[in-house]
Amino acid sequence: MTVDLIPSTTEEQTSIRDATVRLIESEFPLAAVRSFADGGPGPGAKYRSTAAELGWFGLLAAEAHGGGSASGNGLLDAAMLAAERGARLQPGPFTGHGIVVRTLSRAAETGRLPDTQAKTLAALIEGRSWATWLPPAVGTSAGVRAVAVASGPAPADEIVLAGDAGVVSDAGECGWFLVTAGHPDGLMQVLVPADAPGLTVRRRDGLDLTRRWYSVELDSVSVHPDAVVGPAGGQARRLLDEQLAVAAVLSAADATGAMDADFRLTVEHARSRIAFGRPVGSFQAVKHLLADTSLWLEMSKGIVSAAAEALGSGTPDGLALAHAAKSFTAERGTEVAQNCFQVLGGIGYTWEHDQHLYLRRLSAAATEFGPPEQHRQHLRDLAEAS
Amino acid sequence: MTVPLTPGPPAAAPADLDGYRARLRAWLESHLEPRTSKHAVSGLDPGREFTPETVTIQRRLQRSLFEAGYAGITWPAEYGGQGLDSAHERVFGEEARRFLLPDFGLAGKTSLGVCAPTMLAHASPEFLRRHIPAMLAGDEIFVEFFSEPEAGSDLAGVRTRAERDSDGRWHLNGSKIWSSGAYYADYGMCLARTDWDAPKHRGLTWFAVPTRARGVTVRRIRQITGDADFCEEFFDDVELTDDDMIGPLNGGWAVTQTMLFYERGGGAGTSGKPKKRRTAIAPDLAALAAEAGRSGDPLACDLITRAHVDDLVRDAFGTRLGALMRASPAAAASLASYGKLAAGTFEPARAALAMRIGGDAALTWTGDGGPGASAAAGLLNGRFMAIAGGTNEMQRNTISERVLGLPREPAFDTRKPFGDVLRGARTWDGRVG
Repeated sequence: MTVDLIPSTTEEQTSIRDATVRLIESEFPLAAVRSFADGGPGPGAKYRSTAAELGWFGLLAAEAHGGGSASGNGLLDAAMLAAERGARLQPGPFTGHGIVVRTLSRAAETGRLPDTQAKTLAALIEGRSWATWLPPAVGTSAGVRAVAVASGPAPADEIVLAGDAGVVSDAGECGWFLVTAGHPDGLMQVLVPADAPGLTVRRRDGLDLTRRWYSVELDSVSVHPDAVVGPAGGQARRLLDEQLAVAAVLSAADATGAMDADFRLTVEHARSRIAFGRPVGSFQAVKHLLADTSLWLEMSKGIVSAAAEALGSGTPDGLALAHAAKSFTAERGTEVAQNCFQVLGGIGYTWEHDQHLYLRRLSAAATEFGPPEQHRQHLRDLAEAS
Repeated sequence: MTVPLTPGPPAAAPADLDGYRARLRAWLESHLEPRTSKHAVSGLDPGREFTPETVTIQRRLQRSLFEAGYAGITWPAEYGGQGLDSAHERVFGEEARRFLLPDFGLAGKTSLGVCAPTMLAHASPEFLRRHIPAMLAGDEIFVEFFSEPEAGSDLAGVRTRAERDSDGRWHLNGSKIWSSGAYYADYGMCLARTDWDAPKHRGLTWFAVPTRARGVTVRRIRQITGDADFCEEFFDDVELTDDDMIGPLNGGWAVTQTMLFYERGGGAGTSGKPKKRRTAIAPDLAALAAEAGRSGDPLACDLITRAHVDDLVRDAFGTRLGALMRASPAAAASLASYGKLAAGTFEPARAALAMRIGGDAALTWTGDGGPGASAAAGLLNGRFMAIAGGTNEMQRNTISERVLGLPREPAFDTRKPFGDVLRGARTWDGRVG
């Protein structure tokens, strides 16, 4: 079973999607996710390197820099895989990793990528390490500040970062963090290795057990100026806007996959559970609720694939559609999960049933990378700017 | 109608699309008025009045379109169509949208968008030769005589009866309701019960009933908006013949399925044409907020953007649905229920949102009212798609049973003679089997 996020896939898309499903089913199926939720091990290095061989991590990079897509639109391909991952509740910073790869590849395309970072890009595409992206925390006063320190006359010989980078999923296994920091010239993005002195990654308990949650803090973390990615100032703001849109699409795709799988479980239950001498799915109260739920699920697939299509191919409405996709799936996704819960009844309230894992994942997805209100604010900002 | 019919010449060699486009453009420019922004393009077009004079003007326009060979572009040539492929129809759509095409309102959409395609699928060649060219030429406007005061969602439960006398003539008695634009139509495509001893779905037959036949009374219904777009009809021993039958005797349910497919946009919903990009955020609601003095109000802003998100999602969903329907034509009729349910649930919600944005400005106004009055009218009309042409509940039944594969509700009326069903319903106590 696959999530039909795109109604008709190309042969190459079908191939990478089906290989992805096989990889997950053999290396980290739902049974492994359940044990992970109880504190067991995560997917591990073999999973990551096999995924890299399938092409997961190069989808958002240019071919000249080691990347490559299945369909010509790497974001659409990545969204398709994100949906399959969401359906199988996969841990791992797939979204953040993709954004770091995309950002480094874009920098390479403009000729502004130092050799050390080019090596990091290659390592990330080849699946030798995870990386993730730390966006500015939403609606809080906390944040990371960057200061350039020069021991003599310019240029600076180190950048010092300090502050709270907020909560991020799946940071524990990351070798790299792309930190967004405030700087006197505007925003600055810096690629920081996880072992940099002063960088602390702390595990937090959380609602969503299918991923692990961490806080990341930087206490006078000093990096070489080569660690700065892309320009500071206004252009870094534009870069951040694009990153946020990519995060919105991939996170919405993951949520859509989770909705699809949760809904499938629920329909199966409605067909087989007998009450009052009939399958419960023959009662209109149940089937009508499921019809509405399936409409929202199909609408989610429609907006997510449209957003991935547009943003990945660079058409003008890509950013707007990305925020619309995130706003819609955030709100409807939690409703889908709650409706499934209602139809499953008591069994859905048990630890043994998978329902709570979907409910947890979809509830976390609703606010990850910004709550729906924030994405609607981005939509208004875009309309005002155009 | 007895006006002689001269269908236009075949308009183009199939491959020559550019030539077709050039000739079409020249014809449109010399025969039709250009469309400007003041011309409404809404589907419902509420409150629009048709008089014998305005209908005559539209009939004349439609005839010129027909005679030039631009009516029924993909329809069979033997019935007055052009027998061309969908590429030509697409070219016509692209070129013609800049002009004011003949417009018979709701009745026109029913006549050529629902009745004619249904007839082409089921009616006899003689019937088609008699009516389709006349419909294309604008001489015959068909509406549906379908719902009844006591049969709405339960369409197969119609009670209008047609009985055959010893001379083989049919006598029609009963009433129909919610016929769009019947007051200026020429015919109603009418579903009648022809066998009361058969189970409900197997005793039904379709007839073409002239609106001006003896025994037919057409009355306009005043709607909650104050408009009167729909009609009810009463049949008092209206005489019909076998020639008026559409499809086989007692085979009306299959015809109904086709009709519902077209009525739910099955034909048009699959075109897959790109939607116009929405750049501004819900301009109608932004204008309403301005009217209410809430342009900068963050609470109003979020409500407006919420509606905008839903608008974008519905566009994208339409594209997805079209692709799904093209990919599995056998499931298209069931999938069409998604489009209908989306409209029937999101439109009332949007209308309610508008009232919250507009506040007092949507409750009271002076003069022609502007955005506030539109919001109020939208509230009254917003539930239209939730009820008309199959309620939300009927779409949910279709989706859950035919798409999701959930088991059917028990049915107590499908096997017994329909006459017995009606008698039994009067003493229903819910204890069966």
